[in-house]
Amino acid sequence: MRKDGCRTGRMAGAAQRMAAILALVLAASTGVAGAGDRDPSAGDPWEPMNRGIFWFNDQLDVYLLEPVARGWRWIAPEPVRRGVRNFFENVRFPIVFVNEMLQAKPADALRTAGRFTINTTLGIGGVLDPASEFGLEATREDFGQTLGVWGVPAGPYLVLPFLGPSTLRDTGGLAVDAATAIYPWFADWLYLIGPRALEAVNTRAQFLDEVAEAKAASLDYYAAVRNAYQQRRQADIEDRTDDADGKGGPDEELYEIVDP
Amino acid sequence: MRSSTRSWIRDGLGALALLALGIAAPQAAPGPREVVEQTSEQVIAVLNEPGLSREARRERVEAIVIANMDFPTVSRLVLARNWSRFSPQQQEEFMREFQRHLAATYGRRLDEYQNETVTILSDRREANGDWTVRSKIVRGADGRNDILVDYRLREIAGQWKIIDFIIEQVSLVANFRAQFQDMVARGGPEHVLQVLREKTAKGEAIAS
Repeated sequence: MRKDGCRTGRMAGAAQRMAAILALVLAASTGVAGAGDRDPSAGDPWEPMNRGIFWFNDQLDVYLLEPVARGWRWIAPEPVRRGVRNFFENVRFPIVFVNEMLQAKPADALRTAGRFTINTTLGIGGVLDPASEFGLEATREDFGQTLGVWGVPAGPYLVLPFLGPSTLRDTGGLAVDAATAIYPWFADWLYLIGPRALEAVNTRAQFLDEVAEAKAASLDYYAAVRNAYQQRRQADIEDRTDDADGKGGPDEELYEIVDP
Repeated sequence: MRSSTRSWIRDGLGALALLALGIAAPQAAPGPREVVEQTSEQVIAVLNEPGLSREARRERVEAIVIANMDFPTVSRLVLARNWSRFSPQQQEEFMREFQRHLAATYGRRLDEYQNETVTILSDRREANGDWTVRSKIVRGADGRNDILVDYRLREIAGQWKIIDFIIEQVSLVANFRAQFQDMVARGGPEHVLQVLREKTAKGEAIAS
C-alpha cells in the first residue's frame, strides 16, 4: 500500500521492470480509454485496469500481508517495531537528501544529513532516533514529489501491482528513487527480498486499525483510496503536511453549493 | 398604588430582560474556534466519564457532534452536481442514511480512545467567509502518532456549524464526493441509497 517501495532491486532491474509496467499500462489504456460515463475529474482514465490490480493487491493483503502483520504485531513488542521503522527510515536518507536539494530546500537537506549522521552513530545504525529528540524531525521526500514541485502534472492515476496507489508521474519517480537508494549499489536483489518483506510487514502492522477503518467507512473502497492518495500527495507536494500554521487546503471549489 | 408598583416591577423586569439579552446575544453564538473547542471538550468529557456503557457513550458523543454539524450542507457538498438528480424524498433519505453511516463507522473508533487530548493550533477565515480551525489530536508523548484534524465551519442561521473534517490533509467531503460521483454515474441515486442502507445495516450490526 505504501509507495515508498522503490529500492526493490538494482537500478537496471527496477528501471526495466518499470518500463515493462509502463508498456503494459499504455497497451491496456488504448483498449479501455474513452469508455463509458466515467468522471474525468477523478484523473483515472485507466480505471478498469486499475480496479483489477487494486483487487489483486487487496487479495494479497487480506490473505497474506495482513495476517502476517497481525502475527508480527503479536510477536514483536512496540520498541522492536519502532526500531525496524526507524532503521528503514534512516536507510532512506539519500533519497530524501537528494530530493530536498532538487527542490531547493538546503535547510531541510542539512537537517536530513544531520539526522542521518546522528542516528547512524548515536542511534546504533538507525535503530534509535535520537535526532528527533534534538528537534531534527524526519521529513519525507521522493522524486515524484520533486517532479510535482517542478510543475509536472500527476498524470493518470495508476495502481501498481504489490506497491499500490501511484500516478504516472510518481511511478517514474520511483525508478529515479531506486537509483538513489542505498542498498542496490552493494547488494544483489535476492538479498533484498528479506528486508523488503520485513519493511512491508512492519509498515502494515503499524496501520492495521487504520486500514480496517478505511474499509468500513468507505462506500467504494477503491475510489476512497484513490482520492485519499491524490489529496495526500498534493498536500505533500505543497508541503502543508506537517506545518501547523500552513495555509492552503482543499480547493475552494469543493465548498461551493452547486445550484442546478 | 398597588397596580403602579406592579407595573414598575414589570417594566423593571422587562428592561432587565432586554439588557440581559443585549449582553448575552454576542455570547450566545460562539465563534468558530469556540465551537470546535467546546465540541472537543464536551466529547472528551463524555469519554472520560466513568461508568458509561459503550452504547450510552456512543450515543452521547454522536449527539454532541451532530448538534455541531450541518448535515444538509454536508450532504449537498458531498453530492455536488448530483444533488439535483435526487428527488426531495431521496435527498431526505440520503441525509438520514449518510448521517447514520458516519455515526456507525466513526463511533466504533471511540472504543479505542486512550486519553487523547485535543490542541487547537490556529484558525483562519477563508475567502468565501467560512472558517478553518486547525487542531491536533495528541496521542503519546513523542508526537509521532499525533493526528492533524482541520475543521471547516460555515455560519448557518447565525450559528457556526462544522461542514468538513480534514484529517491529515484528506478532506472527508472531497473523499466521499469522489466515491459518490462514481456511484451515481454507475447506478443513479437509487444505487447510492441502496449501498448506504446495506452498509449502515452491516456497520450497525458489527457495532452492537
